[in-house]
Amino acid sequence: MFKNYIKVAFRSLNKNRTYAVINILGLALGLSVSILVFMFIKDETSYEKHWDGYERVYRTGIKASVMGQTMDAPVSPSPMANTFRTEFTDVETATRIHTIKQEIMVRYEQTKVYIQKAVQADSTFFKVFDYEFVHGDPKTALIGENSLVLTEESAKKIFGDVNPIGKIVKYDNRQDFIVKGIVKEPKGHSHFQFDMFMSQNTIRNVWMSNGNYTYVKLKEGIDANAFLTKMRRNFMKKIEPDVERFLGTTVEELFKGESYYEYQIMPLKDIHLHSKKEWEIQQNGNIIYIYVFIGIALMVIIIAGINFMNLSTARSGKRAKEVGVRKVSGASKKMLVIQFLTESVIQSFIALFLAFILVELFLPGFNNILETELYLFNSYIGETLVFSLIITIFYGLFAGSYPAFFLSSFQPIAVLKGDFTKTNGGALLRKILVITQFTASTILIIGMIIIFKQISFMHNKDIGFKGDQVIVVPIQTDQMSKNFRNYKSVFLKNSNVLSATRASFYPGDTPNQNMYLLEGKKDQLPLWNMDVDYDFFKTLDIKMLDGRKFDREKESDSLPYFILNETAVKNLNIQNAVGRKMSKNEGSSDNSNYGNIIGVVKDFHIEGFNSEIRPMVLTISNDLWFASFKIANKDMNGTIDFLEKEWGKLETSHPFRYTFLNEKFGKLLRQQENFGTMFLFLTILAIIISAMGLYGLASYTAAQRTKEIGIRKVLGASVSEVMRMLTKDFIKLVLIANIFAWPITYLLAKNWLSNFSYQIDIPILPFVFATLLALVIALITVSFQAYQAAISDPVEALKYE
Amino acid sequence: MIKLNELTKVYRTDEIESTALNAVSFEINKGEFVSIMGPSGCGKSTLLNILGMLDKPESGSYEFLGNEVAHLKEKGRSDVRKKNIGFIFQNFNLIDELTVFENIELPLLYNKVPSSERKQHVNELIEKIGIAHRASHFPQQLSGGQQQRVAVARALITKPPLILADEPTGNLDSSHGNEVMELICDLHEAGTTIIMVTHSSHDASYSDRIINLMDGQIVSEKKNKLAKTAI
Repeated sequence: MFKNYIKVAFRSLNKNRTYAVINILGLALGLSVSILVFMFIKDETSYEKHWDGYERVYRTGIKASVMGQTMDAPVSPSPMANTFRTEFTDVETATRIHTIKQEIMVRYEQTKVYIQKAVQADSTFFKVFDYEFVHGDPKTALIGENSLVLTEESAKKIFGDVNPIGKIVKYDNRQDFIVKGIVKEPKGHSHFQFDMFMSQNTIRNVWMSNGNYTYVKLKEGIDANAFLTKMRRNFMKKIEPDVERFLGTTVEELFKGESYYEYQIMPLKDIHLHSKKEWEIQQNGNIIYIYVFIGIALMVIIIAGINFMNLSTARSGKRAKEVGVRKVSGASKKMLVIQFLTESVIQSFIALFLAFILVELFLPGFNNILETELYLFNSYIGETLVFSLIITIFYGLFAGSYPAFFLSSFQPIAVLKGDFTKTNGGALLRKILVITQFTASTILIIGMIIIFKQISFMHNKDIGFKGDQVIVVPIQTDQMSKNFRNYKSVFLKNSNVLSATRASFYPGDTPNQNMYLLEGKKDQLPLWNMDVDYDFFKTLDIKMLDGRKFDREKESDSLPYFILNETAVKNLNIQNAVGRKMSKNEGSSDNSNYGNIIGVVKDFHIEGFNSEIRPMVLTISNDLWFASFKIANKDMNGTIDFLEKEWGKLETSHPFRYTFLNEKFGKLLRQQENFGTMFLFLTILAIIISAMGLYGLASYTAAQRTKEIGIRKVLGASVSEVMRMLTKDFIKLVLIANIFAWPITYLLAKNWLSNFSYQIDIPILPFVFATLLALVIALITVSFQAYQAAISDPVEALKYE
Repeated sequence: MIKLNELTKVYRTDEIESTALNAVSFEINKGEFVSIMGPSGCGKSTLLNILGMLDKPESGSYEFLGNEVAHLKEKGRSDVRKKNIGFIFQNFNLIDELTVFENIELPLLYNKVPSSERKQHVNELIEKIGIAHRASHFPQQLSGGQQQRVAVARALITKPPLILADEPTGNLDSSHGNEVMELICDLHEAGTTIIMVTHSSHDASYSDRIINLMDGQIVSEKKNKLAKTAI
């Protein structure tokens, strides 16, 4: 029986090649999108799952508000990991790491290598994260104070093919380390990526200073919530001495008011998609994007499925006779349903084959945009295949069901004698389906424009400083740091070096928060602090709103001078800031050094587009570790070479490394940009599929109305009148689709934009544009068919019967 | 074999009601060859459709092989039809996507006859009908006469006791038309009951009895004593 169905299915496809191609191609596009999205989501949700026992590993964190200072970060104090190991019976092991944020120079004999992602870790690190050791022993590799473990790649860079175990390297020109282990890159993704591990086993017994990340691995069967309670109880006792020493009060008193200090744990596997705190080790993914991609993929899949249903139903007239004959020959309705479902499942499988080819074609671009490394034949190819098969069969059955039931319900006499093309079966459903398709496409078009507008807004937003032609250079030696202000004249000798300055941090870093006292106010003010030198405002072209900049002529170094930013003045309700006195609260002693507020600076973003600007205070300092130079637009390479040469003379042990300030800043936007590009790609796909569906439907309609067209032409209708008649109905459908699309898009857009601290107002233009675009696409698609029909010879049309 | 009693069929559209068959009653015996004639619109196709259980009457009774079938549901009608009735249509109604062999095989498939038996029956029949050399061709590649012969073969393959033919020579020229009528006569001689709707007195002359319809009612019935037989 099935052989017969399969034979007929293929012959039928062959006979109607245009429709077969449209149908199968549309399905293939829909399938390829679903496969790609599946692979992406699988990848994103696979983080950390390659570590042995990952389900029992948690990262600690602190959420606190102490005397107005807030913190919500996955950080922890030095003694925490050891406390876990020694005082908790529920703990299998725990480890502590401290990440090194800059690149580090490592020297072996004559080879100098820059390690980007170094980390200090205690000796139990490899018990929690079971890296595979090529050389060395995970149990002992990080014991002692000068032990070093390298990844294979780093080892190759430093040592080539020589076995490095036991060799000694110079770390940052300061310290000698012995290589005790070489590890392979981990098999899966993690929220951190390290090139080099240095042992760090000294414990500093301060509980309220949090410069580490701590991971704890619980024993099997331990309830995390119960553990958390025990943990909090233990740790609150531990912070008591520090609270007294640093804050001059008791824990009890402290938490009577609005202050709180809450320890937290987060499951390791949740970090990548769900952790969005300050001081993440590297930028994590975002669960929102997962949801959005799923949503879009579903839309594309639905559009393709609708096409299939629509076209099959529309073409049902051609199969009607066959249905009648089969019924007369003894087929039951059930048999016919099975036959037509078989056909649609076959088409789905052909589409699946094509989809895999498309996936291979799209993957490089996809990986490029999303900065992933997906490939089809990876470790979960099995799951991908199963998923694809399920979706394919579902497509075949679901999309094929309506046509199947519709076709198989034809009454034989209706079809065998009469002209079945006269029936309008399923017309309403077809209209609904076209409207749904175009609603979805319009939503995507509008959404895409809004996304790009928001990204462009963030790019062009007045960030408060001018970062173009500014390069940032980290200072690596004490000598350079102490003497930089004297060396400035050396750099400025080149007329293309327009300005030189230093600061305590640049984009990508988070500033420090300290407490300040304002004369006349009782309460302490928490402010974020940035140290700069005298040329900072000039180099970055930051504007003052009130008062003056730091001026080396006017100031003596004995009293501190402060400049506040707009937000500080606004948030802290400081009237007439300039001229008032404030001081930094150094501790509980009374030696507050009061100095003048000399100016208020316009807000500038130093952290990234999406962070709200913090209330900041700027002070002058000589202890600054990031230099920056503004260079002229001409011969930039020449200028950089010059700087490198001069720098090299002054800082001989470390070479000159630089990044463009705009680049550093721009990187922070990358995730959004990637998302935007992906959205664009999917939108174009959805439009193509919708247009294909419309094309198919239009040609069917034209064929349906051949006789009518012939008669009208005989009676005097012009080509354009006939075209208008044929396109009118479709245009109506597209307009109705837009009526639905506008409010839905508005709500979705508002929702998405609320994720951003700085967002655009939703403009009307994208909506109008999308409607026009949808109309144009529909018109072009339908007109082609309409034109063909309109110019045909009436005689041909009338002979049709 | 067939007993119709007061059979009525009414067609309704939104505004118009037309009575296609008005209390028609007659009987047909096993082995008879009956022609139904009448002008266009007189209801003969409707009658044939009801006889073939392709349509349901409004009221009245239809006994087929002793069983009342007038108001059976589609499944019931389909079951009876499958085993007992073969159809020959004016416009052949072959499935374009199937070969000659596959077209003829179709009723056997639906009657769940196993593959080897099917092959045997079909091959025998196409030899008999004289189209064995075209077995793997598609309908579009055959002449009208050949297509109708295939359609006849399809009607016969399950050896049904009743054949319903609706203007079987309507789309054929005279020589092909004669061929088909001769085939039908052969069937008749072999014992099959045949009911044929036709415009052509020439074709009707092959049958035993002619029933004349007008405006949905039987106006006359006459026996054909001078029935032509195959030469």
